[in-house]
Amino acid sequence: MQNTILVIRFLFFLYGFMLIGSYIVLGIISVIESIEYMKKNSFVNYNKILSSNISPSISIIAPAYNESLNIIENVRSLLSCHYANYDVIIVNDGSKDDSLEKLIEAYNLVKVDFLINEQIPTQPIRDGIYKSTNPAFEKLIVVDKENGGKADALNMGLNISTNKYVACIDVDCLLIEDALLKLIKPFLETTDTKVIAAGGVIRIANSCIIKQGKLIDVNLPKNMMVQGQILEYLRAFLLGRMAWSRLNGLLVISGAFGLFDKKIAIEVGGYDIHTVGEDMEIIVRMRRYMEELEDKPKYKVAYIPDPLCWTEAPDNYKTFISQRNRWTRGTIETLRKHRKIGLNRKYGAMGLLSYPYWFLFERLAPIVEILGLLYFGLLVFFGKVRWDYTIAFILVAYLFTVLFSIIAIISEELTYHQYKKKGTGLKMVIISFTEPFIIHPFILYSAVMGNIDYYFNKKKKWGAMTRKGMSNTQTKN
Amino acid sequence: MVVFNYFIELFEKSDLIIEFVWFLIAMLLFLVITIIIYLKYLRSTLRRNEKSKNKLEKEFETAIITYLYAGDPDSKEISSDQLLIIEGLKKGTSKSYRKDILIATMLKLGYEISGEMAESIDKLYIQTGLKEYSLSKLKNKKWNLIAEGIRELTLFEVKEVQHLVKEHLNHPKSEVRSEMQLYLVNLFHFKGLDFLNEIKTPISEWDQIQLLEVLQLYKTQEISDISSWLKSSNESVVFFSLKLAKIYNQYGVKEELIALLQHPNVNVRVEAIHIISHLDIIEAKNELKTNFNTLDLEEQIAFFAMIEETYELADKPFILDNILNPNFEIKYSALKILKELSLDEFNSFKDLSLDPQFIKIINFVESN
Repeated sequence: MQNTILVIRFLFFLYGFMLIGSYIVLGIISVIESIEYMKKNSFVNYNKILSSNISPSISIIAPAYNESLNIIENVRSLLSCHYANYDVIIVNDGSKDDSLEKLIEAYNLVKVDFLINEQIPTQPIRDGIYKSTNPAFEKLIVVDKENGGKADALNMGLNISTNKYVACIDVDCLLIEDALLKLIKPFLETTDTKVIAAGGVIRIANSCIIKQGKLIDVNLPKNMMVQGQILEYLRAFLLGRMAWSRLNGLLVISGAFGLFDKKIAIEVGGYDIHTVGEDMEIIVRMRRYMEELEDKPKYKVAYIPDPLCWTEAPDNYKTFISQRNRWTRGTIETLRKHRKIGLNRKYGAMGLLSYPYWFLFERLAPIVEILGLLYFGLLVFFGKVRWDYTIAFILVAYLFTVLFSIIAIISEELTYHQYKKKGTGLKMVIISFTEPFIIHPFILYSAVMGNIDYYFNKKKKWGAMTRKGMSNTQTKN
Repeated sequence: MVVFNYFIELFEKSDLIIEFVWFLIAMLLFLVITIIIYLKYLRSTLRRNEKSKNKLEKEFETAIITYLYAGDPDSKEISSDQLLIIEGLKKGTSKSYRKDILIATMLKLGYEISGEMAESIDKLYIQTGLKEYSLSKLKNKKWNLIAEGIRELTLFEVKEVQHLVKEHLNHPKSEVRSEMQLYLVNLFHFKGLDFLNEIKTPISEWDQIQLLEVLQLYKTQEISDISSWLKSSNESVVFFSLKLAKIYNQYGVKEELIALLQHPNVNVRVEAIHIISHLDIIEAKNELKTNFNTLDLEEQIAFFAMIEETYELADKPFILDNILNPNFEIKYSALKILKELSLDEFNSFKDLSLDPQFIKIINFVESN
C-alpha cells in the first residue's frame, strides 16, 4: 500500500514536472521564433503584392447560420480586405432567420446558374447561388444551402471556390485589412517546403471599438472572464503555437481564420462533418496525407504572430462552458480518430512529438487534475496531508502560471504592443494573478463535462454560442 | 513577525525536497517581481520612444522642408541656409537610431513630392552622410542590417554601388537576396535582371511577384532576351521567365516554350501550356493532342483550357473522345466546345450517360 502511494505521488510529480518543463521549452522557442519573424518582416513591402493581379487567387469561405444581426457589416468587412485577387463565398447554412433576404437587399444579389464540381459531398443547395449586380460587390458569392453544420458549409465553399487558396473563417470575426496579404506570405516565400496551411493570432475584440467593419481602438474589457481569456489567448498563441510552428508540429489552425492549399484540402476529403473539432481534425488529416505520400515531400503548417483576426469571446460562464466543452470533445475526437499517428515514427515530428504532447498535456490534463484533486480529497479525509508540502507545491504551480502569463504579456509588448493605454499594463499583471481562480476552474469543469458528454452523450453537437455582435459599437464587457 | 518565525521554524524542520521547493518559490517570486518591473520599464520605454520618435520626426520634417525651400532656384549650388541645415542634421543624427528616423522621414516626404524636390531629398541623403551609413550596413555581420542597407540604397536610387550590392547575389538569407534583386530591378529595370544568369539560389514566388510589379511600373514593352533564362537549370528562373513571357507577350521564344513541354517538372510543363495558350502558339497544339493520354492530369486540364480558346472543326474527334473523361473540368470543357462546334451532335449526346455529374454538366452547358 505504501509503495502504491509512493508510485502515485511520483507519477503526479513527474507529470507536473514534464508539463512545466514543456511550457518552458515551448516558451523559449516561441520567443526565438517571434524575434526571427519580426526581424524578417520589419522591412517587407506588402504594397507590391497587395495591388498585384499576378498574386495567387484566394477565396474567403465564411459559413453563416442565423447571423442576421450582423451579417451585412461582417460581409462588408470581408469585402474590404487589402488584396487584389480574391473572392468572398458566404455559405448560408440553412439559416432560419432573414440572413439571406438581408444579403439580397443590401448587396443587390440575383440568383445565378452555377456549375458546382461536387468533389466533397455536402447538403444540397436550398434556394440557390447568388451574385451581385453591383460591380462594387463583384467579389461576393452567396450560397444558400440546407443546414449541415459548419464543416458541411465549409465543404460547400471548397466545392464552389475556383481559386488556389481558401481562407476559412467565422463570419462574425473581424479580419484586419491586410490579413490575407500577411497570411499568404508563408505560402509564397518558401522554396523548398510546401506550405499546406497557415494561421495567425486570434485576438479578443470584446470592448474594442469597431466601426464599419474596422477595428478603431483596442480596449481591455472590464468583464473579468473576458480579461482572463485575453491572457489565455496570448499565452496559447504567442508562447505555444509559435513554438509548434518552429518545430513543424502544429496540429491546429484556429477555425476562426486559417488559410489552406485548396487542392490538398479537397484531396483529403475536406472538413469532417462528424466532429465538433473540425478545425483541428482537417489539419491533422492534411498532415497525415502529406506524411503518407510516397515521395515524402517537405511540407509545413505555418503560423505567424500577427494579430490578423479579432473575435468575440464568451462573456458569461454558460457560453464559455459550452464552448470549452466542445473544444474538449473536438480534441478527443481528433486524437482518437488519428490514434495511429501516436508514437509512430512514420509520421515524424507529428507522431513522436506533437501527438504525444497533445495526448498527455491537452487530452489527459483535466483528467489528471481531477484525479489529483480526488487523491488530495482522500488524503484530507484520512488526515494524511502534509500541509507544508501542499502549500509549497501549490505556490510553485501558481507562481509559475503567473510568471508564464507575464512573459506572454511581455512577448505581446515586444511584438505588436496592442494594449497601449496607460494603466493597462498593471491591469494585465493583476489579471495574471487572478486568472487561475476566475477561468481555470471553469475550464476544468468544461473539460470534465466534455469527457462525460463524449462518452455518455454522443448526440451532443455544437451547443449554442450567443453572440452580441461587434459591429459599430463598443461592447459593454 | 510570528508568522515569519513560524515559517523559518517550519523550514528548518523540513525535508530536503521541501527546502528545495521553498527555494524554488523564492526564485519564482524574485523572477515574477523582476519581470513585473521589467514590464513596467518596457511599457514606459515603448511609450517614451514613440513620443521621442514622433518629436524627432516632426523636427526632421521641418528641417527637410526648410532645406527644400532654402535653395536658390537659379543656382545648382547649395545655399548657405541649406549648408546650415545639413550641418544641423549631421550633428543631430550622431546615433544610428536618429539616423534611421531621419531616413524614414526623408522617405516619407519623398513619397509625397516629386520632380526636383524629390531629387533634392536624394541629394540631402548623400550630403548628410547617410549614404555612407547605408553602405556601412552592407558590411555588417547581421543579415537584417545588410538587407536594410540595400533597401535604403534602393529607395534613394544610389546606382553607383551596384557592385557592392551584387556581392550578396547568393547570400544565404533569402531576405538579403530579395533586397538585392529589388535594388537591381528598381534601379536598372530589365538590365537589372541580368542577375538571373548567375543566381544559384531559388527565387521565391513572393520575390518573383515583387520583381514583376516593379518592372510593370516602367511602361516599356522592350525587354531583355529571356530565351536563355527559359533554359536555366534554376527552376525558379524558368518560372519567372514564363511569367515575363506572358506579361510581355514574348512570342519570339516560342521554340523555347515548346521545348519546355518536355521539362522534367510537371509544374513547369503546365505553366508552359498556359503561356503557349496565352500566346496562341498553334504549333504546340498537335503535339499536345497526340500525346494527350501520356500527359499528367494537370497538363491535360491546362491543355483543355487551351483548346477552349483555339478549337476548330478538326478537333471534333478529339473532343468527342473526351466528353466522358472522368475528370470534371475536362468533361465540362469538352461538352462546352462540342456545343460550339456542333449543336446537333451536342444534343444527340444528352442521353449518352446516366452519370449524374454528366447530366449536371450537360444541362448547365445547354442552358448557358
